[in-house]
Amino acid sequence: MKKRYLYVLLAPGLLFLTLFMIVPLILTVGSTFFKDGGFTAGIYAQFFKDAYFLDILGTTLLVSVMTTLLCIVIGFPVAYYLSKLPPRKKGIMLALAIFPLLTSSVVRSFSWMIILGKNGLVNNLLTALGIIDEPLSILYTPAAMIIGLVHLFLPLILITLVGVMESIDHDLVRAAQSLGASRLTAFRKIVVPLSIPGLIVGSILVFVGSLTAYTTPALLGGKKRVVATFLYQNAITLNDWQAASAIATIMMIITFVVIGLMNKAAAKFKPKG
Amino acid sequence: MKTTWIKGLLACSLSALVLAGCGSTNGDGGDSSGAKKQKLVVSTWGFAEDFYNKEVYEPFEKAHNVDIVLETGNNADRLSKILQGSSDVDVIYLSDYYAQQGIEAGAFEKIDRSRLKNLDQIYDIAKAPNGEEYGPAYTVGQLGIAYDPKAAGMKIESWSDLWKPELKGKLTMPSITSTSGPMMVDAASKVAGSAEFNEDKAFERLTALNPSVVKYYSKTSEFVNMFTQGEAAAGPIMQMYVGDLQKAVPGIEFVTPKEGAYAIINTLNVVKGSKNKALAEEFIDWQLSQEVQEKAAKAKVDSPANKNVKLTAEEAEGVTYGPEVVEKLQKLDMGFVNSHLKTWTDRFNREVTR
Repeated sequence: MKKRYLYVLLAPGLLFLTLFMIVPLILTVGSTFFKDGGFTAGIYAQFFKDAYFLDILGTTLLVSVMTTLLCIVIGFPVAYYLSKLPPRKKGIMLALAIFPLLTSSVVRSFSWMIILGKNGLVNNLLTALGIIDEPLSILYTPAAMIIGLVHLFLPLILITLVGVMESIDHDLVRAAQSLGASRLTAFRKIVVPLSIPGLIVGSILVFVGSLTAYTTPALLGGKKRVVATFLYQNAITLNDWQAASAIATIMMIITFVVIGLMNKAAAKFKPKG
Repeated sequence: MKTTWIKGLLACSLSALVLAGCGSTNGDGGDSSGAKKQKLVVSTWGFAEDFYNKEVYEPFEKAHNVDIVLETGNNADRLSKILQGSSDVDVIYLSDYYAQQGIEAGAFEKIDRSRLKNLDQIYDIAKAPNGEEYGPAYTVGQLGIAYDPKAAGMKIESWSDLWKPELKGKLTMPSITSTSGPMMVDAASKVAGSAEFNEDKAFERLTALNPSVVKYYSKTSEFVNMFTQGEAAAGPIMQMYVGDLQKAVPGIEFVTPKEGAYAIINTLNVVKGSKNKALAEEFIDWQLSQEVQEKAAKAKVDSPANKNVKLTAEEAEGVTYGPEVVEKLQKLDMGFVNSHLKTWTDRFNREVTR
């Protein structure tokens, strides 16, 4: 019976979330369905018939997927390396890896401008080495957005992967090797499947983060827009909060769908027994 | 089980309410006791803060025994905050374009012009940029073209020069939703050769310009940055920022286009519901005074709106100064711009930047 009182402990947090998250969310989503006093889903029909919006949505999804894939490819080996380090060293290395998350995204984006610009480090180096004659246009393209976002979100996938990889019993790998598996096979059959839960959580964080990122695409992206900057234009400079709310709702739904799909995929990969 | 859970939640929220109530009564008691200094909340961009603190706010605070509290941010964010309510701003600095949005939303008090004693020293263009009932402009600058002759590989003299093929991939233009965005729509209409404003022709020209544009900028810092990074060689910008630009990239030139530069006008208004309206108007008058205006011009912070300000040729460098310049500037009708902005933004998104 004592357990009942434990629920009371939840109340402050619950109250806070209800007031400041759930109610505003309901208001935001709800406001998109009322126009001229009537109930309608017209605004969504408009958005999904609009080639311009679909183009923006396409760019955003492409950038988010690319960012997530790159984070996985770069993050997985690094996380495995980190998880094998002795605790002290691991702490220092993890702190270094998390460092980008601690700097302001504005400062970070400006650093990338200096690196990627036509007078930037990359172009100067490539021209000095004689690899290119004319400076490449990297800044103000979707590629620049992806670079900035990978830099920003790599720590998220590292943290989640290291956490999961640490808990993998290394004896399993040794057992596999003693039974004749090569190092690569052991890695592929033991480490990879057991890391899937961390990979899924990390990927969701990176994907949702990239989908909703504003500062990095606004500063590093060029003429191509993403949904977040489009939303900002509607809300702040045009004062069209209904359109902005509808865009926000669409983003939320995409997020939920992606999380659902990824969880389904994770269930499939789950090692049995 | 369930009912107790709900009871717990209720009890908790009730106690929270009671606590919140206690908090506010205590707060009220604290405020009314003791004669407190008056407080004037000023909403502004926050650039040249040192200058404003020393030459504008501090002397006013001393003269009127008042504390000035600042709220800073860009035009859009600050106006949006006021429109959402729950703001205690008394005076707001805004560009004429955002001021118009505020007026149409009923966000400002009507100004008492008899309190603005310095008004007759102001250029006509600055007296009532958004109509007689609302605040004056305290600075009038010009929007022209800045360019790097070496990187551009040509001489720029007019708005129509921006369409020259030499500038392909070297141009940065203001985004449609920035203050100078609508001016570019007007310039494009002129370049298309139409005497009256023609929206279709303007957008046809802007679409033709798009391949030349690297990025549509919405902040001046982006503009400067694009020049230092070698991403852009030309673009429309306010004269006041050219000094910064030249510091970053030597050799930059500023031109007043042949078809005419545009007036960039920053205004002051009293926010609706201000409890210090008279004091706010005093503040606006102080900002218009020759003393403040001359200091601001010499510090190259704001171009003067006050006709009595006298500058030497050196002091006038980079400042929009003198009746022969100011009186020739073209001013857009902000009411017209505002009523078309949504369509223009839409067309800009769909037709121009595709």
